[in-house]
Amino acid sequence: MSVFLAILQVVIVTLVAPLISGATRLIRAKMHSRKGSDVFQDYRDIAKLMTRQEVRSNTSSFVARVMPVLYFAVMVVLACGIPMITIASPVPLLGDIITVIYLLALSRFFFSLAAVDTSSAYAGRGGLRELIVGVLVEPTMLLALFAAALVAGSTNMGAMGLAVATGAVSAPVATFLAAVAFALACYVELGKVPFDMAEAEQELQEGPLAEYSGPSLALLKLSMSMKQVIVVSWFLAIFFPFGAAATLNFGTFLLGIVAWCLKVAVAFAVCAVVENSVMRTRYKLLGTQTWAIFGVSVLSFAFLIVGV
Amino acid sequence: MSPKKSPADLTGAAAPSPARGYERICESHVEAVRAAIPGAIQDVAWQTDDQVTVTVNIDTLPDVVAFLYYKRDGWLPMMVGNDERSLCGAYAVYYILSMEGQDRGWVVVRGEVDPVTREWPSVTPLVPACVWSEREVRDMFGLVPVGLPDKRRLVLPDDWPDGLYPLRKDAMDYRFRPEPVSDLESYKFLTETHGKETTVMPMGPMHITSDEPGHFRLFVEGETIVDADYRLFYVHRGMEKVAETRLNYDAVTFLADRVCGICGCAHSVAYAEAVERAQHIEVPERAQWIRAICLEVERLHSHLLNIGLVCHYAGFDTGFMQFFRVREKAMDLAEKLTGARKTYGLNVIGGVRRDILKEQRQDTIRIVRELRAEVRELVDVLMTTPNFESRTKGVGRLDPQIARDYSNVGPLVRGSGFDRDVRFVHPFDGYKALDPSRFKAASQASCDVQGRTLVRIQEFYDSLDMIEALLDGMPEGPILTEGWTYTPHVFGIGATEAPRGEDVHWAMVGDNQKCYRWRAKAATYSNWPTLRFMLRGNTVADAALIIGSLDPCYSCTDRVTVVDVHDGATKTITKDQLETYCVDRTHSPLLDD
Repeated sequence: MSVFLAILQVVIVTLVAPLISGATRLIRAKMHSRKGSDVFQDYRDIAKLMTRQEVRSNTSSFVARVMPVLYFAVMVVLACGIPMITIASPVPLLGDIITVIYLLALSRFFFSLAAVDTSSAYAGRGGLRELIVGVLVEPTMLLALFAAALVAGSTNMGAMGLAVATGAVSAPVATFLAAVAFALACYVELGKVPFDMAEAEQELQEGPLAEYSGPSLALLKLSMSMKQVIVVSWFLAIFFPFGAAATLNFGTFLLGIVAWCLKVAVAFAVCAVVENSVMRTRYKLLGTQTWAIFGVSVLSFAFLIVGV
Repeated sequence: MSPKKSPADLTGAAAPSPARGYERICESHVEAVRAAIPGAIQDVAWQTDDQVTVTVNIDTLPDVVAFLYYKRDGWLPMMVGNDERSLCGAYAVYYILSMEGQDRGWVVVRGEVDPVTREWPSVTPLVPACVWSEREVRDMFGLVPVGLPDKRRLVLPDDWPDGLYPLRKDAMDYRFRPEPVSDLESYKFLTETHGKETTVMPMGPMHITSDEPGHFRLFVEGETIVDADYRLFYVHRGMEKVAETRLNYDAVTFLADRVCGICGCAHSVAYAEAVERAQHIEVPERAQWIRAICLEVERLHSHLLNIGLVCHYAGFDTGFMQFFRVREKAMDLAEKLTGARKTYGLNVIGGVRRDILKEQRQDTIRIVRELRAEVRELVDVLMTTPNFESRTKGVGRLDPQIARDYSNVGPLVRGSGFDRDVRFVHPFDGYKALDPSRFKAASQASCDVQGRTLVRIQEFYDSLDMIEALLDGMPEGPILTEGWTYTPHVFGIGATEAPRGEDVHWAMVGDNQKCYRWRAKAATYSNWPTLRFMLRGNTVADAALIIGSLDPCYSCTDRVTVVDVHDGATKTITKDQLETYCVDRTHSPLLDD
């Protein structure tokens, strides 16, 4: 049953991701006072790119070639393990927060490596920026998640989500602050303005993406929208598991799907409004802004030690 | 609401008058040169009341220009080369100085260059503002500025043959296209990195943030720009050559429109003024007012574009699109006044082609009010947008001394603490009538991107007020002067304040109803050379924003795609189809099949 659920999650995430990025584009167009294309545009884009020729820099090695596939594979693995419809993880082995963080780091590492590999000035710079964003945001994620893990007594997302869902947390204030810190860190991880450092269009001309074309680019685009859905689901699974099925039967299963869809839709709508109302952070000042987020996670840890 | 009388803010600036103790405008400068550099001046002639040309001994030329520039508050928009072998047996170089301290006016320093040696002493080592003009004269006339450190081409492409100088009268027909002599770009990018190891980031020739080719090389250390160099003129269109050989002097106003895709009217007014001043044509007052109004309309849409672009470069596309939505109203206004969405096709020598009628007047007043309200709202949004302050403050600093040395213009120089603005320094056309206590050049002392943006915002509001004031006090009467006498081989300077800064045109008409020589200087031409100073020390992330704060010019349209929003059918019209239709006016490509 849980294998079936894991496969279902992968299918849903893969199919829904372009819809969500398409809807984000539509919101963006509306805020721009443009008409915009409909929510299915990203499916058409991916389909079109799949039929296009692939062009690769002749100075690039196998790393650049392997990266889109690897990136996609990591997202598939993540989509298996993160609880979406149920509170517990469908594949408990993959349901550990540390596993998730390292899987994300793996995709990030290859993303940056491939960017440097293409020996394009813009792509390389984008790759370096991606790494720096990782260095700045991962400690915050870890600290916030450790605080939550200590509260729940487990690093398994299912157990953590269950603790939050049933209200069995010993330090509610600390948990709340951890949720805030983790939400902010997730937003940075989504790579949206003001934190879209690696692809910053006007600064780096899409950064590493500029070196990809055809099916690779299609796969990369798909994987990147999948990553956004996964990161949001990750946050929801731990800190907002309400509506997800605790025990699996047909009713709770349906409710779980509807609840997940609603939560993800709301989260992305909020993100879309935020990303279209701000200017990109000045790259030099990125560190000072991530420090603020880190501060929140430290605060949550302090509250945890005090026990509130 | 039908004011016929002149309201309070139209009292007008005092007409320029000579300095105390002198009979003519700019005479004090001429006498100062005579006293400081004895024996330099060979001849003095006034073209108009406020334009004097001083012919000097060519060896003293750098000293005279530097003296006027630094000791007499002169600014140097450009220099002009001219092939006058058929007139006086020599080439001539004209250094145009705008005197902006005491005794305001234009002083032109003229030197004759020997047609055999073709050398003259470069002024650039003393006055850096001459650098681009002197390089251009070397490209176009083959004259050699001795002592100019930069030996590279500026205007001519790398594959242009050596020894062919397009603007010499005996060089080539304007239709002649020489065979390329090289397939490789041989332009050397120069850098002063003071021993630091840098990596090169190319920006362009095509870059996502600019619609026109320009090749920038950023020498970076990590994210920090150590130095930058750039190559432009990929789209040099040879307009001056075309104007001199193909068009009559009156048609050049329409060509001057096309110098720029945004501030065409400013160029066309500047050209018209140059000829009108040289020929002593009195332009009717009503035409002068109409020109000023259209120049301000042009400023409206240009500034909205640039304020929008600031948002775009900083990753705030919502702001960009919203400013563009409002900008459409300014384009509508241009269409109401001139018949075209850009203020094109308005000027002829001696006046304008279209009057502003009652209905257009009312529409203008209505649109001006709407624009004021909507832009105020958007500017509030922009100012409170997160990261606006941190992205623009202290970024792209232009040192006032560098601005002074290079004679920068427009919002760029006004963002560095100067209040240079042709409209107020040398009031022309309808601007003469504006109350100087109410309208002043907007200026900010912060020297950064933010300062330039704030200057543009202030100027936008000022433009709206000016349009209202000018409409209120518009005199009645004709709009075109005809029946003047044509005098060949006299020249004049026309200057306007385009949205990006001062446009200066120098025009000399010939004995064949054509321009003998026309030199058009666009505002950005004065600003490019200082860009490298503004880029140094900033990060790659800010490069686009800094280049954008200069408001460089774009102009390009070679084909059009038409999308039918109702049935979704798209259709692309090729350049050929468009050209054929423009000529024949039959078989519209949109109506086919």
